[in-house]
Amino acid sequence: MSSLDTAARIDKGSAPIKPKAGERIWRLTGDSLFHTAARFAAFLAVAVLFATVIAVAVDSWPAIKTFGVWSFLKSSQWDPVTNAFGAFPFIIGTLVSSAIAMVLAVPISFGTALFIAEIAPSWIKRPIAGAVELLAAIPSIVYGLWGLVVFAPAFAQIEPGINSTLGAIPGVGLLFQGPPMGIGMLSAGIILAIMILPYISSVMRDVFMAVPWSLRESAYAMGCTTWEVAWHIMLPYTRSAVIGGIFLGLGRALGETMAVTFVIGNSNVLSASLLMPGATIPSVLANEFTEATSKLYLSSLIYLGLILIGVTLAVRLLAVLLLRRLASREGAST
Amino acid sequence: MLNVSLPPKPSNPAAGDNEQPCPAKLAVRNLNFFYGKFQAIKNINVEIRPNTVTAFIGPSGCGKSTLLRVFNRIYDMYPGQRAEGEVLLDGENILDPSSFPKLRAKVGMVFQKPTPFPMSIYENIAFGIRLYEKLNRSEMDDRVRHALIGAGLWHEVEGKLNQSALRLSGGQQQRLCIARALAIQPEILLLDEPCSALDPISTAKIEELMYRSKEDCTLIIVTHNMQQAARASEFTAFMLSGELIEVSETTQIFTNPSDKRTEDYITGRFG
Repeated sequence: MSSLDTAARIDKGSAPIKPKAGERIWRLTGDSLFHTAARFAAFLAVAVLFATVIAVAVDSWPAIKTFGVWSFLKSSQWDPVTNAFGAFPFIIGTLVSSAIAMVLAVPISFGTALFIAEIAPSWIKRPIAGAVELLAAIPSIVYGLWGLVVFAPAFAQIEPGINSTLGAIPGVGLLFQGPPMGIGMLSAGIILAIMILPYISSVMRDVFMAVPWSLRESAYAMGCTTWEVAWHIMLPYTRSAVIGGIFLGLGRALGETMAVTFVIGNSNVLSASLLMPGATIPSVLANEFTEATSKLYLSSLIYLGLILIGVTLAVRLLAVLLLRRLASREGAST
Repeated sequence: MLNVSLPPKPSNPAAGDNEQPCPAKLAVRNLNFFYGKFQAIKNINVEIRPNTVTAFIGPSGCGKSTLLRVFNRIYDMYPGQRAEGEVLLDGENILDPSSFPKLRAKVGMVFQKPTPFPMSIYENIAFGIRLYEKLNRSEMDDRVRHALIGAGLWHEVEGKLNQSALRLSGGQQQRLCIARALAIQPEILLLDEPCSALDPISTAKIEELMYRSKEDCTLIIVTHNMQQAARASEFTAFMLSGELIEVSETTQIFTNPSDKRTEDYITGRFG
């Protein structure tokens, strides 16, 4: 029926030229074929998503049956010898390493995007934008190798400095204790930040450049500085796209596997200090999948995967809710 | 090259014969403007009287908007654009870098398309004031209310000051932009075809607003609409291909222009 509508519209549009009957029938069939194909493609994507979730859930069932949901989430034990498994250190590791990455990457991305969109003279814009985007072209395994071989030894050199400065602050200092190994939660967060920076900054750059010139001009015409225009005009104007870009980066950080596995230290023991080794859900999966000898062990790892899907979906949901709240606040009357 | 100056004072019917000649609020001397190699303004000389509305008319591309953009140096944003000559605001050359910091507080600008900032109606006004003044909450409330009353917008937005300004109609948005510019209490307000995107009723409201604003500041409007120039301005300047052809009292320009090209343009023979 909708294909008939379309055909009618096409007909009206090209009224002066009368198509031959054969042509018309072919067009109608072609159109309905296209509709079917598009519908099929859309349903296929949804079906793959559900199939994945179901397959993961089925494979993690033995672990769910043994440990339950809540006790698996909060247990810090991960002992293949005694078959005792808990997800807590990995969930925290995933969230903390991604949080570090966001704290570092979001402001830097904002600065990069703002420089390219607003400040840089035009001859330098393209090279810088291109270089930032090239960061996304480096395979994550290369980031991992670089992190382990180059970054970690260098970072180990400055860790004593972090110990004696940030580590000396009461309270917060607990986060910055430990031997100078160069690998650990903080290193993983820094590497992640470098990896997600191109995603966040290119979204920000694109939307900043799409801010109408008249809007910028009228702010500059009032005497705003570049910072005031960026912070009070451009950022609110592009808010939803910017938040989208940030969550895109967060999604990548949560799921990043290889690079994190190389530099995080892979310790199943949760530590208060960011300088100590830790593990994330993806890193423990990558590390231990091949060694999972018992059925329960393997199932627990897959269970971790299910939790990671849950965390990612929760982050998505958070983004949607945040955007909705911003939208409703904008329309709120008094 | 034609250098045109304001007509002698006595021809202004509003002014008494014995009054001292009024010093120009804004005096443009030998102004040239370039977009890279292209010269958009050619040796313009003109004087703008305080507390008047002066309209710049002319066909598209004649340089009238460019001239307006020189008056608060908004062209500075773009590399490759430069102005040569002098633009004296109360005798001080605004093209001197030293006068820049205060310039945009003194010379406000309203654009062709309404450009409400992505914030509430209240904040749209308060934002600009806050750039220059530190006021407490009740002082700021007063200023915002005053600005909105001045723009004839108060009754329309009174109950929804915290609503996004983007929800207003086009005409309301443009009046908000004018209110926002006037709230900083500029000495000169530049309007670049402020009504070209608006319906006749909104246009009338804005012309009325311009008329009232004259008391506190000097207005310069660029317009495509000759009726608007005739209605809303006291002086009119006609530009063509980057040159200033004629500037005079509006009534004279429209009834008895001294240059053939002006006459051709107003009578619609070209442009």
